[in-house]
Amino acid sequence: MSTNTVSRKRGLSFYARIYKKILIQDLKSKMSYRADFIISTIGMIMTNLSGFVTFLILFRNFPSINGWDYHHMLFLYGFSLVALTPVQCFFDNNWNLRFQVQSGDFIKYCFRPINVFFYFMSEVFDVKGLGQLAFGVGTLVYAWYHIGMEVTVLRICLLILFLITASLFMIAIMNFAAATCFWIVGSGYVMVIMFRFKDFAKYPASIFSGIFKVIFTFIIPIAFVAYYPSLAVLDPCEAPVLSWCAPLLGILFFWLSYKFWMLGVRKYDFTGS
Amino acid sequence: MSVKRLFALTRAGIMESLQFRLGIFVTLFANLIYLVLVYFLWKAIYDSAGTDVVNGMTFTDTMIYLILATALFNFLEMFVVWDMSRSIQSGKIILDLLKPMNYRRYTFWSYSGSHVVQFLLTFIPTFIVVMIITHGAIHMGLNLILFILSTVLALIVNFSMEMIVATICLYTESTWGINIVKETIVLLLSGASIPLAFFPEAARKVVDYLPFRAVYDIPLTILLQKNGSTELSGLLPMLGLQVIWCLILYIAGTLFWNYSVRKITVNGG
Repeated sequence: MSTNTVSRKRGLSFYARIYKKILIQDLKSKMSYRADFIISTIGMIMTNLSGFVTFLILFRNFPSINGWDYHHMLFLYGFSLVALTPVQCFFDNNWNLRFQVQSGDFIKYCFRPINVFFYFMSEVFDVKGLGQLAFGVGTLVYAWYHIGMEVTVLRICLLILFLITASLFMIAIMNFAAATCFWIVGSGYVMVIMFRFKDFAKYPASIFSGIFKVIFTFIIPIAFVAYYPSLAVLDPCEAPVLSWCAPLLGILFFWLSYKFWMLGVRKYDFTGS
Repeated sequence: MSVKRLFALTRAGIMESLQFRLGIFVTLFANLIYLVLVYFLWKAIYDSAGTDVVNGMTFTDTMIYLILATALFNFLEMFVVWDMSRSIQSGKIILDLLKPMNYRRYTFWSYSGSHVVQFLLTFIPTFIVVMIITHGAIHMGLNLILFILSTVLALIVNFSMEMIVATICLYTESTWGINIVKETIVLLLSGASIPLAFFPEAARKVVDYLPFRAVYDIPLTILLQKNGSTELSGLLPMLGLQVIWCLILYIAGTLFWNYSVRKITVNGG
């Protein structure tokens, strides 16, 4: 608890300064493995391309899905890609959490007088995510143009607000999934599975019905990774209440996942391994 | 090499993977949730299409195809690339190479145990659930035996591809990147993310002859009795393609490995 009280006294600028320093170190070390860096970037581009090809093949055979035509679906697709960028860029270290916890190296994060969650996440900045961002923004602009939506300041503000909202949900999902490793040994499966569910975020959540609608909205909130937030941008007047609740729910989910993650850390402290 | 000794490796593999029972249940559970997602998505897609049959695939066919493709993916998944790069980094690979057994054969047989466990504990239950949901849409007969035969061939093709990719990793020092490239290509071109029946004509002509199809598409096509696989004239080319790719990839993989393994010895001292 004491680390928490100390960190609260420090301002945002303190953390921003530290983040910049750690980021530069990380980039420097990445650059020393140039071949790996290039191949990984190619790999990331390939996954995006393959997702796009799947999408094209789907629409070649079926003109619309649940009342969503090609360009609206493309908008949703681009939206989900951009919304998934922050989790890829800033929270990628979650994938290493289980190895660090198992080997005991994680203890080093607990000894610093800064927030453990912040320190752990700041260690890795994944550059590959930027390719995805570019891909997503391109798709989004193309779809926007073809839908023929007006470009107003309000719309742009809504878009940015709801993109941030959507990414909070994805970050929260991955935090929850990663933090399970504090309790379960070899919980890599949970992360892999959650990461695979995100592939369904790019489809309209209106396809679900009954109990599964509730599950995919509130328990595994993939409906909030693209569907509800993008409705608020596409058609602010007709958007359902859930779309407007999304920012608050996003913050709530993120906060809960943070608390869960920190609970794991505290539990780890107790075992003293 | 006696068969008995190979089966000893299988047995060890079975015991090892039974250690991670929780993981197996999580995989099974995830398959079921995945099944729900695929069901809703494709139901919506077919409802919007207005027709029942698209490119010779009905809604039920597509659903069975995609869910069993995922189940096959879990069952065929090998971590050869990861394990090998880890054992190169730690130096453990030297111990494996010193074993009085061909390294590739050793790897294959030590994975066979986990394949058996995965098949029984994740594939079969998923299969049963699919049968219940679709009210027995899968024909039960000779196609099941042919499916198992075809799956064994798929397993060999998949292993050979894994080994080739793992060997490339000896040179590049990049595991994540190479692995994601491989996975993306295999999943797309094998029909695991979208059935090959939906691919455009021109693309199909190429994809039909690539080895990736031998991993997911051919076993599932045989199981669903599509593309004339009920007739000998339709079945033989498919199994033939699998056998040919097994041989090509096996030989290519062996040559590449034998050449590269000499390289490691030189570099590692």
